[in-house]
Amino acid sequence: MTVDLLAIPLSCGFFALVVAAVLLVRRSERRLGRGPGAPSAPRMPGPDGGTDPIAAYLDRMSGELALPAADVAEVRAELAGHLADSIASLEAEGLDRETAIREALGRLGPAVELGRQIRAAHQSTRRLLAGAGGGVFAAGGGFVLGYIGGGFAVAAVAVGIAALMAGLAAAGLHLPDLLQDPHGIGGNSILIGLTTTIAAWAATRYAVRTSASVSHRTPHSVAVVWAAAGGLGFGWWALFGLHGYQSGSTVAAELCIPVAAVAGAFVRIERPLPHSPRWAVVVGLIAFIVVPLVLFAAVGSSGSGSGSGQAASFQASDLHLDTVAPMAPAQWLPDQIMTSGADADGASGATVINAQRISGQSTLPIAPLLSNWRDLRFESWHALPEDEPGPGGIDTHYTSPFAVQPAALNGESLDATFDFGRLRDAGSWWVLLTAVGPDGHRYRLDEFGYGGSSDFSGSAWDWLMAPQ
Amino acid sequence: MEGRIRGQLLKGTTTLLVLTVLRDGELYGYEIAQRIRERSGGAFVPSEGSLYPALHSLEAAGALEASWQASDRGPRRRYYKITKTGLGMLREHSQEWATFSLGMARAVGGADQ
Repeated sequence: MTVDLLAIPLSCGFFALVVAAVLLVRRSERRLGRGPGAPSAPRMPGPDGGTDPIAAYLDRMSGELALPAADVAEVRAELAGHLADSIASLEAEGLDRETAIREALGRLGPAVELGRQIRAAHQSTRRLLAGAGGGVFAAGGGFVLGYIGGGFAVAAVAVGIAALMAGLAAAGLHLPDLLQDPHGIGGNSILIGLTTTIAAWAATRYAVRTSASVSHRTPHSVAVVWAAAGGLGFGWWALFGLHGYQSGSTVAAELCIPVAAVAGAFVRIERPLPHSPRWAVVVGLIAFIVVPLVLFAAVGSSGSGSGSGQAASFQASDLHLDTVAPMAPAQWLPDQIMTSGADADGASGATVINAQRISGQSTLPIAPLLSNWRDLRFESWHALPEDEPGPGGIDTHYTSPFAVQPAALNGESLDATFDFGRLRDAGSWWVLLTAVGPDGHRYRLDEFGYGGSSDFSGSAWDWLMAPQ
Repeated sequence: MEGRIRGQLLKGTTTLLVLTVLRDGELYGYEIAQRIRERSGGAFVPSEGSLYPALHSLEAAGALEASWQASDRGPRRRYYKITKTGLGMLREHSQEWATFSLGMARAVGGADQ
């Protein structure tokens, strides 16, 4: 066994990043919230028991601060203490309380101007840059923590749904396949998409609250910047960065990622982050261990772009092939043809379909055999899933093929290439060779056709742009 | 008021005055204003409205550290303490002020002659 020495410092650095981000965010939480250590400004009664001029002055001054809540509370408390001292001193000099209050407030100057000057003192360019850097750092830590926590949460929900489905199945109730995931791999992509959605939400939320705290600004004032950055960054990643199996469900889950990033910057951003209760951590940990075991047991093996070959033990009638076209009359097609396929080599991964004479029948070349026929083409039809009981064959819910390619004569073979991996929801398919006969009607030339199944592979953008 | 320096002349000196009085120990805002007034024999009465923005600017620049402490009378106070950065800033401002005041004295004295 070899140990990658680079993995050790990388792991340590990764762990240090998360711990530092957590400490940074927790420190930011103390500044953004009032917290137990933040002093509160004492309220003083007015001289006539009516409207308190000191509180009114402090309110006007606070309205100009636009600082985090803890900073506002500190400035208010500091100035309230200053006014208390100043008033007491003036009263000691012989002024009555009302005059002393007026004089003390006059010495501080206009409340609005004082508030603006104190805000300018706090919101320096240096702090703004530090806030931006801290926000990026916290976003990284928040993403990792959100991914871990989101993984727990999503796994727990998945276990619950699996238990519900098992219970319903035991009761004889079968729900429709909402995921349209015949091979069981879409569920994993959806789980990853939802987990990443939670991570994106946490990332922008951590970024907003940390940068607000470090730069001495309100969360709302920096939220727009982080929402734009998070929406664009995560949006690009969701559309172009996540490659693999795609379906309508997985694309929907992936498009939730940038939406969550924007929402994380705005929704209830003034509220402190919740601290997970201990029981939630324990439940999440159990789910995190149990869910993969359940999924591994349930999903089983799956393939991509595989062909099942001829279902020789079945009759053509079992496969509902007449849905496509009737079989060509023997007088117009004296020799039998067989369609088969193979995965193309190279980067495309497309499937090559070909049709040939069944060997041992006759020695006639294929071209004269098909001289009575025109518009030869391969038709790809949606088929019944392979793992369902029965012979499979054409899915009779469909009345037209989802892909058609002209059959090109190549020596003694008719060829066409289908890129099933880039066709939306191709799933299980059945390919038949058809042509228009001397009577002007379309017939199928191959008795059984050729079946297989494929999963869309690519990015969410590829899926959105792909033909249906 | 006779014997006091005009407000315009005090502009720009608040930082030097604050750092100077804090060199001797921790003080809170109101005490700082009082100490400046006492040390100048009543000649300097800094605007209280400019005192707090100056204190917060110096804190943001790392020249001061602030902490909340219990007070003998009234609510808790926010005490300011000069830092190593603040001492360096005080030296620079003091040298600038010495150069400025010497030049002003020469210029004004020369005009009288």
